[in-house]
Amino acid sequence: MSAHVVRRLVLLALMIVLSVLITLVNPLFLSTGNLLKMLQEAAQTGIVAVGFTLVMITAGIDMSIGAVIAVTSMVSINFISYTKLPVAVFVPITLMVGVLAGAFNGFFITRFKLPEFIVTLGTKSILSGLALVIAVKDSMGFVQNVYIQNESYLWFGSQTFGGIYRTTIAFVILGVATQLFLKNTRTGSYIYASGANPTAAKLSGINTEKIVFGVYVFSGLCASIAAIFISSRMMTAMPELGLGQEMDVIASVVLGGTTFAGGSGDIWGTMIGAVFLALIKNGILKLGISPWVQPIVIGGIIVVTVILDVWQKKIADKLATRAKLRKLAEASAQPAA
Amino acid sequence: MKTEHKSDILLECRHIVKSYNGPIVLDDVDFSVKRGEVHSLVGENGAGKSTLIKIITGATDRNSGDIVFNGQALPLQYSRKFAESLGIAVIYQELSLIPGMTVAQNIFLSREPLYPRTRIINKKKMNVMAQELIDRYNFPLKPNDLIDNISIAQRQLVEILKALSGNASLMIMDEPTSSLTRTEVEMLFKIIHTLKSEGISVLYISHRMEEVYALSDRVTVLRDGKLVSVLEKEQISPAEIIRLMIGHRLEENAVHHHLPKIEGRKPVLEVEGLTSVGKFADISFTLHEGEVLGIGGLVGSGRTELVRALYGIDPYDKGSIRYLGKPWVPSVHASIRSGIGFIPEERRIQGILATQTITRNIGVTNLDRLAPRGVVKSRQEKQLAMDGIRLVNVKPPDPEHLVGNLSGGNQQKVVLAKWLVRNLKLIFIDEPTVGIDIGAKEEIYGHIRALAEQGVSVILVSSDLPELTRLSDRVLILRKGRIIKEFKECVLTSEKILRAASGILEEDDEA
Repeated sequence: MSAHVVRRLVLLALMIVLSVLITLVNPLFLSTGNLLKMLQEAAQTGIVAVGFTLVMITAGIDMSIGAVIAVTSMVSINFISYTKLPVAVFVPITLMVGVLAGAFNGFFITRFKLPEFIVTLGTKSILSGLALVIAVKDSMGFVQNVYIQNESYLWFGSQTFGGIYRTTIAFVILGVATQLFLKNTRTGSYIYASGANPTAAKLSGINTEKIVFGVYVFSGLCASIAAIFISSRMMTAMPELGLGQEMDVIASVVLGGTTFAGGSGDIWGTMIGAVFLALIKNGILKLGISPWVQPIVIGGIIVVTVILDVWQKKIADKLATRAKLRKLAEASAQPAA
Repeated sequence: MKTEHKSDILLECRHIVKSYNGPIVLDDVDFSVKRGEVHSLVGENGAGKSTLIKIITGATDRNSGDIVFNGQALPLQYSRKFAESLGIAVIYQELSLIPGMTVAQNIFLSREPLYPRTRIINKKKMNVMAQELIDRYNFPLKPNDLIDNISIAQRQLVEILKALSGNASLMIMDEPTSSLTRTEVEMLFKIIHTLKSEGISVLYISHRMEEVYALSDRVTVLRDGKLVSVLEKEQISPAEIIRLMIGHRLEENAVHHHLPKIEGRKPVLEVEGLTSVGKFADISFTLHEGEVLGIGGLVGSGRTELVRALYGIDPYDKGSIRYLGKPWVPSVHASIRSGIGFIPEERRIQGILATQTITRNIGVTNLDRLAPRGVVKSRQEKQLAMDGIRLVNVKPPDPEHLVGNLSGGNQQKVVLAKWLVRNLKLIFIDEPTVGIDIGAKEEIYGHIRALAEQGVSVILVSSDLPELTRLSDRVLILRKGRIIKEFKECVLTSEKILRAASGILEEDDEA
């Protein structure tokens, strides 16, 4: 059984154990309504995490996703407040925010060989400022909380048959499609190659710059898609929306088994990771613990997961060298005999 | 112009000249490979082998000279990808496969079979194609195995298949056996014979003379960037190749060094039966006060691993060590405190802090004295740096100069200086003069000899044979992790060292 499978089974087992424990304290946890809400929250983080997974497979990181969410929702709010354009027209335009932000990131990372962390952190700062600038203001110049009343915009965050949120459905479709794309297409395998061994990838004729550029564009697009669903669900949007969301996203991806070193991981893992994280957050509320604890727990999860990953790798390496030494000892014993 | 398309010469290089801003690395070299032959390229370190390979594979350009491959004249500068598309494949020393991917994915990377009119990979077909290739050469591989889970020898086979599936007609193998076991080497040899029978040429580079002897149809010998000789099959013998590689340099340098008697001096380091599985085995020797003990052997013979274990960087499995007459368990910390120094093999990676000043570089190994309570006494640190600079004559003699901006020779002097300012009793020195100009080399030799005269014991590991013969009082030769020869109180020449290291033992070695 591969390490990936083991990891997933452990996560699923942990989820079951945690669910039982939480239910014992607060039976409301197991109610259909709560579970649907939990999955919807997992989806809001998960949609962003799908794009982020691809970035991490290429050994990169995208710190700008939270700010992309903020700007995207501000652009939406502007369209809703000041225009009468139909949703089908302005939502695609809105999604361009993420595409452009991703292209900006990808351009500086591939063209000038700048560190991913610095470039995307810069983008994050620029975009969070931009979100404030374009926010809808009142006559005094204060940022105004706009309540979204556009019915067709609210459709995105609403529930459908059986009470399932459309966000959840979108997440599943996006996740499955991306997973199939990663594992079955040429571009998908180039994404892994670019992260695992960029030199070898280049020598094999892969245009790794193009791959990396594309991955950041996709990450930005995913963040923008998530922004539509989040603002629609909240029926409003503030310029701070999504800021800090990076942490939840990183935690989901890392929990799912994608490593910072790049070259490994997949979307199935990320999807499980997102649900696991939503369960933890929901559980904290259901247990009556202060929600302020959430960031502490999320940070802790990231660190512990990375430590476990390193340990697992170390143990595997140790076993491998031991096997090799035994083989060598046998080989060197032969001529002596 | 008519080009002879099916001539039996596959690759022809004429009058190749290459210089890296200044020193000439390849000087008017002719080189050719016939179709379906195994051709070995030999020469000492720095003879120009790797530069020639880099030029052929497109990793670097050449200043002048012609290269004709398969009837096509190649431009002065071309990319690796271009060379690969012509059929020039390299089996890299550091493997260039993608971890996390399967054997089949690696073989067909960027040439994956697709479903018609899509970008979706036809995995079934890809695995079948891989299986066909594997069966054709009868390799112990499975298309679905992950690269991470197979041995280094198997990975090499994957690289070979990758090259074959790309229709390679020339396969360059650079020290392919350096990390293979005996049976794996035999398997590789069989494969090379199969390749040959299919008309594929193999350009083989190895320090191991017995392999060159066993495999080659022809051998080209390079020395100091010049072509020395091309040997035909019947002329090839290990002793002859070594003679040609070393040439007349012995006479030129007149380093028929007489190793002096060293008996009667106090022992400093006594090593008994030291063994580290897979690295070295059963190493015993005694190092005396003021003695320079040279350790020779081919790359991969366990030299570096031995000194690293003796200094306390890596653990060992068996054996005992006595230092200054007392039982000794090495650790880096204890070594430094007890007057043992270490100059590592790779200066840029292991020896210097490139982005720091000379002062900091010298200070960092002396913090026990400079900062006994944790705070660095900067005046003393600077004084120490000035002392060091004066001792080894660093240019420029500016303690605030960044070490990364110094020449290679001066960087190495700084590394030397940080130990010289201490009270040493013993120092391990690994390849002290790689990539250093002659002037600085001489200065470093002077310092090493001076250390010995002051009573410091030195263990010197080097691939530079004249360096070993000149500096050492005694030389141990390692081969496959064991001491196979000790030279003392005799006339020592480069040729003798290389013969011993290559495993050619002979009667007249006794002196």
